[in-house]
Amino acid sequence: MKLNLLKLSLAFTIAFSGMLSAQQVSGNVSDETGPLPGATVVVQGTTTGVVADFDGNYSISASAGDVLVFSYVGYTAQEITVGNQNTIDIVLQSSNELEEVLVTGYGSQQQKEITSAVTSISAEEFNQGAINDASQLLQGKVAGLQIYNRGGDPNAGTVIRLRGLSSLGANISPLVVIDGVVGASLNNVDPSDIESYTVLKDASAAAIYGSRGSSGVIIVTTKSGGVGAAQLTYSGQLSSSSILNQIDTMSPQEFIASGGRDLSSQTDWLDEVTRDAFTQIHNVSATGGNGKTNYRVSANLREAEGILLNSGFDQFNTRLNFSTTALDDRLKIDFNTSFTQRDQKNGFKESMRYATLYNPTAPVYAVDAPYAFNGAQFGGYYETLGLFDSYNPVSIIKQNLNNGERRELNYGINLTYDVSDNITAYFRSARQSSDYANRVYFRTTSLWNSSNDYGGADSPVRKGAAEFYENNSEFQLNELYGSWKKSTDDMNLVVTAGYSYQKENYNEAFFALGDFPGDEIDYIDAIEYSQDLLNAGNVIANSGRNPDTEIDAFFARVNLTWNNNFFLNASIRREGSTRLGADNRYGTFPAISMGADLAPILGLSGVQQLKPRISYGVTGNLPGQVGLSQEIRGWSWGGGGSAGGSTNLLRAANPDLKWEEKTELNFGIDLTMDRLSATLDIYEQTSKDFIINRVVDAAVYGFDRRFENAGQLSSNGFELSVNYDVTDNYNTGIVLSSNKVVLDEYVQDSDKFGNLGAPGQNSTWVTRVKVGEQVGQIWGPVWDGSVTNGSQNFKDVNGDGELVVGQNNALDDNVDFDVLGSGIPDLEIGWSNQITIGDYTINAFFRGAFGHSLVNTFRAFYEPRVGSQKSYNYVNTELANPEIKNANFSSLYVEEADFFKLDNLTISRQVNDNMNLSLNVQNAFVITDYTGSDPEPALFDLLDGNPLAPGIDRRNSYYSARSFTLGINYKF
Amino acid sequence: MKTINKIILGIGLIGITYSCTDLEEELLGDLTSDFSLEGISTGGSGGGGDALTGVFNAVRNAGTANHGGYFSVQSVSSDEMAITQKGGDWYDGGIWLEMHRHTFTPANGPVTGTWSQQYGSIAEVNNAISNAGLDANQMAQAKVVRAYLHWRLMDLYGNIVIADGSGSSNQSSRSAVFNWVEGELLSALGMGSSFDLSGLSNSSLGTNDVKYRINQYSALGILAKLYLNAEVYTGTERYSDAAAAAGHIIDNGPYSLSDSGISVPNLGKRPAVSSDPDNLVGYAAIFAPNNENNPEIIWSVEYDEATAGGMNFHHMTLHYASQYTWNFEAQPWNGYVALEEFVNSYEAGDDRRKANFIAGPQLDYGGNALVDLASDSPTPEIVYSIGINELEPNGARTGGYRLGKFAFKQFARPNLDNDYPIVRLGDVHLMHAEATARAAGNWALALPEVNAIRARANVSALSSLTAEQFLAERGREMFQEASRRTDLIRFGKWNDSWWEKTNSDAYRTVFPIPSEQLTANSSLSQNTGY
Repeated sequence: MKLNLLKLSLAFTIAFSGMLSAQQVSGNVSDETGPLPGATVVVQGTTTGVVADFDGNYSISASAGDVLVFSYVGYTAQEITVGNQNTIDIVLQSSNELEEVLVTGYGSQQQKEITSAVTSISAEEFNQGAINDASQLLQGKVAGLQIYNRGGDPNAGTVIRLRGLSSLGANISPLVVIDGVVGASLNNVDPSDIESYTVLKDASAAAIYGSRGSSGVIIVTTKSGGVGAAQLTYSGQLSSSSILNQIDTMSPQEFIASGGRDLSSQTDWLDEVTRDAFTQIHNVSATGGNGKTNYRVSANLREAEGILLNSGFDQFNTRLNFSTTALDDRLKIDFNTSFTQRDQKNGFKESMRYATLYNPTAPVYAVDAPYAFNGAQFGGYYETLGLFDSYNPVSIIKQNLNNGERRELNYGINLTYDVSDNITAYFRSARQSSDYANRVYFRTTSLWNSSNDYGGADSPVRKGAAEFYENNSEFQLNELYGSWKKSTDDMNLVVTAGYSYQKENYNEAFFALGDFPGDEIDYIDAIEYSQDLLNAGNVIANSGRNPDTEIDAFFARVNLTWNNNFFLNASIRREGSTRLGADNRYGTFPAISMGADLAPILGLSGVQQLKPRISYGVTGNLPGQVGLSQEIRGWSWGGGGSAGGSTNLLRAANPDLKWEEKTELNFGIDLTMDRLSATLDIYEQTSKDFIINRVVDAAVYGFDRRFENAGQLSSNGFELSVNYDVTDNYNTGIVLSSNKVVLDEYVQDSDKFGNLGAPGQNSTWVTRVKVGEQVGQIWGPVWDGSVTNGSQNFKDVNGDGELVVGQNNALDDNVDFDVLGSGIPDLEIGWSNQITIGDYTINAFFRGAFGHSLVNTFRAFYEPRVGSQKSYNYVNTELANPEIKNANFSSLYVEEADFFKLDNLTISRQVNDNMNLSLNVQNAFVITDYTGSDPEPALFDLLDGNPLAPGIDRRNSYYSARSFTLGINYKF
Repeated sequence: MKTINKIILGIGLIGITYSCTDLEEELLGDLTSDFSLEGISTGGSGGGGDALTGVFNAVRNAGTANHGGYFSVQSVSSDEMAITQKGGDWYDGGIWLEMHRHTFTPANGPVTGTWSQQYGSIAEVNNAISNAGLDANQMAQAKVVRAYLHWRLMDLYGNIVIADGSGSSNQSSRSAVFNWVEGELLSALGMGSSFDLSGLSNSSLGTNDVKYRINQYSALGILAKLYLNAEVYTGTERYSDAAAAAGHIIDNGPYSLSDSGISVPNLGKRPAVSSDPDNLVGYAAIFAPNNENNPEIIWSVEYDEATAGGMNFHHMTLHYASQYTWNFEAQPWNGYVALEEFVNSYEAGDDRRKANFIAGPQLDYGGNALVDLASDSPTPEIVYSIGINELEPNGARTGGYRLGKFAFKQFARPNLDNDYPIVRLGDVHLMHAEATARAAGNWALALPEVNAIRARANVSALSSLTAEQFLAERGREMFQEASRRTDLIRFGKWNDSWWEKTNSDAYRTVFPIPSEQLTANSSLSQNTGY
């Protein structure tokens, strides 16, 4: 009987709902200011959904009793139960940013619950224009996050650093987490696929990532599937770049007048090797789904040219994010994958360097040589033979090839299972594989080659050379964790705990050989004809494979909300790594933070949030290399062509090597008022036991260096971001940050770094660190403004009547050196402005850095009118002093490099429902007194990566570019 | 619920699969243990792979004939040669100017590097001594090499650490190091605690001519050098012992001076340049690229362009454009130059003058003049001049004769082939002559051997001899063999003034202990004066 009753009621329900199912509900979705095109309307629990049109109108079939969910990014979703009305108009409330959900480590939290220093940036705030590197979307947008890409090389890596220097030698770039995958590569994310970034700035927020959190964490969330029928979107950009700023050198006439060797031609070398470069970008994406199963697929094509001839890349990237549910919607399955294929022409930056210093009266081609010259040996190009470091820049860039190929593949799956109403289990497994191959070919008629480490190319003595390089890295991550929630009227508790395992492997191989028979073909494709194969020892080859680096970690976290006003978060991670000494593999990284929203407590009117918060955390830092704790030996052959040989020590072992550890205390305050929001953070960090390759007693260890935990850094700083709606049509925001890093302990009282190099300025270190003082000091003699016999006179800085300015006295107490500047800026500013006028939106983003200096090495080497350099051009900036005929590093070559620039200006127009057009200028103008090509700070030594030698503008720089971009965005 | 349990179990199992790793790191692409001694195939002439390969590689790797280490500090600080600052090139923070002017500091890079290089090499020798299972002969050789490297350190720095493998980092006085070095050498020579040639019969060292290994004669040569300088090191003279040790080599060793009967093909000859000789004869043959069988060499460090790199004299000294004279694979650096006064101490007809220096107009392989477009002079042709305008800042790019003793071959690679003699008969004769003369207080006793050396160089015999003349003769003979600094100190001339150098203080006869090492080893104390 029961059964029958059930059947009956079921039949009735079906009949009833069938009766009403014909109902069509339509209406308009808007916010306070107007329609919301693109808002989604979904019948809850079904596959039915639509998107509002340009005027905010929608129409959907629903039945009485159905629940319609109206949602739009940045707005609070609303649910309306359908009755018998046919029209439902909805005004969505712009989601109170307090309720904005931020992705944090192993979970997400509402903004109001966050009690550590965390910043989130969504797509509409990103930098615009032809941006090919995902991290540059963020440049200048997050207080305390330094993102610099000096110069305009489209293939150069970007330097990212959070809250200054947190380590020496170990990893100093923030950890990147992409869709939950810890340590994933930003190279495999197309900038147009990114939905948002969350930056975990302080140790308390980052401690859940343990050993790799010391330099902060950048969490990337990619765009995911939508609802409804497939929505196809195209965006395209066409961009043109040209050289922004070049270094002043002498014209041919000036050069001859100042005694240069006249070779009877007039050549603008920089013009010969650079060009107006074009870039095109095409992105196509399709999203769709039915509320349970959603997808987004995208394809991104980028063809970029660099302003240097023969430099640029072609890149193709695809991404799929797919999610579905099973088991009564209790199990959610996310699958995502992306693949990037990039073919790059690296070109030769040296061509720009030689273009700056090559004799401006030299001809490009041999036929124009002022004397008999055998150009056939050099591919028809002229060369000033027999000089140090002097090569025809056009020959370099036009004759030779430097091509790379990168492939990156990521794939992974996330399972989310609701075990019960308050318990959820998560499992994540992800793989990443990256391959890079590089081929360099110096033609048989090339005088120049980039390296003297092997025979190389050196026509006519050695004809041509071919270099092959490849590396491969593999990475896997498996994580299992769960969360438990408990809510009462006045309390919300979330406990998360889990296990994480990660394994990485890296290997590489290189070989090079040369001396080919003729110039008929590119012998890189026929290396069997290399003469080096006949001569023992002339082929160079090496390869290496890292052992698997494994990380094993357990973690737990508690998030507690009390009365909706008090917030407490605490976490702990215990982690071990293969990279450390046998006795010190495991480290424990705790964190705690708390805050309270005073606005409701104090009953402040017009204030939505006033939240002071305090946090403390401990993070670790893993050395960048493997085997640091072990003894490493090299191999020497015994000579005489015999097979005998022996090993020799390269590094002494240190089984006690342990984690670097950073502790950080952060105090912050978040303020939200009607038109104004502001966040201020003040912090203090201490990094101790940092891992450095230090000098040890050679007589005891048999080698004068090994890796030890030695020294301590501390830093403090502040970050302020303010956002203000000046009018309904004008929003402005500013981010400010400042950071000071002090060396507390070190292996010796002071040390010097940043060797200038050849010619003539080896053993000339231009930076110093000293215990108790700030890191980043540029250090050297002070020019007093006078010149005697072609040499600068220096100041007796300490006034003891004795002038001590020898480089080998640099660290002596009585040396007359001074701090000539700081390589690290005191203050960095990002200022964004958005103005809306009708269909037009103007975004103007200004960026500046103040208080840093740069050693202008082009000037230090080539500005003195050195007599015996008569066939090299002289750098001739406004600071040049023609009296100086002797190259000595001094304060004269250290320049303040404060700058303020209109970094990014975009004017866009919403033409209609489906189409948006934009015009963008990057590097529109730069205000600076710096005479080099780019005043952006050099946060570390660009030659060897040493973080203790910032502020050196090296000669191997790629000139920066200004670019104009036309963009279109079209929804089909 | 059953389904749920299965899923939880499943996820749990996946987790466990990846868990519980032991985090052991086994390096794959790096060598982590020493295996020079595991009987890798033998072969090659007089050397090759045996248990001592690492020991002798260590001497080669100790800056013996390359830029920036032992050779450089020993030579550039003397009156033989300098590295002039050539305008924008070779200032390098003044390290070579202060080396020349004796104003070097404890932070000087080459002073620092030389210290570490010697101890690095000593560590490799200690490694062989304690781990290689050396037989008695090999053990004696290894200990002689270790003593020789300590002699270098003691000669350079005075009070040093004796690295005998015990791990001690205590500094010993110069005379204590002298005694230890002497003891090690005497023990290898079978002599017990005091110098006594009759003990040689007990020595484990051999007497055959082995250029790349240690025999009794090379050990005696090192001992003779130690004794010859004993007065400098300890204040006590040992000239008779020095004479006896050298005399034993001369009387008993299977060696002869490389005279006009010794000749090897000139591998640097340019067919288009008729003045290039076909052969290198006599004195020049001792240092030729193909000098491995020269009868005068007692112990040499083996260099090979492919398998035993580390000799770069061509790069160190020649002008960039000289690449096209010899068709070098890489461009030279235009650094080291010989000093005019030193060159002028040779008579015009001295064979050694021609062998030791590269002078005058320079031609390329085809016989055409080499040019330097950046040079200060109105005519760009390259002519190495005997005089040099100044040490700094604008030393002429073509000023000064260049170091040519270790002759270059055509198409030479960045590493040269010439072997570098540590002990050779010509040096032993001069040590014998000097020690004999000093022991008797009569320089005339040195004349026969000095004249023998002069005769080999085609210069006329001297009829009388002073200490000064002897020093000059020794200088002419031993140029570019890293001997001059030690000789000048022994003759009391080291602190004198010479070209672009004023008198230096007495304490400059030893280099400062490197400041880096003072920091790393708190038991070290700095030498007086620094």
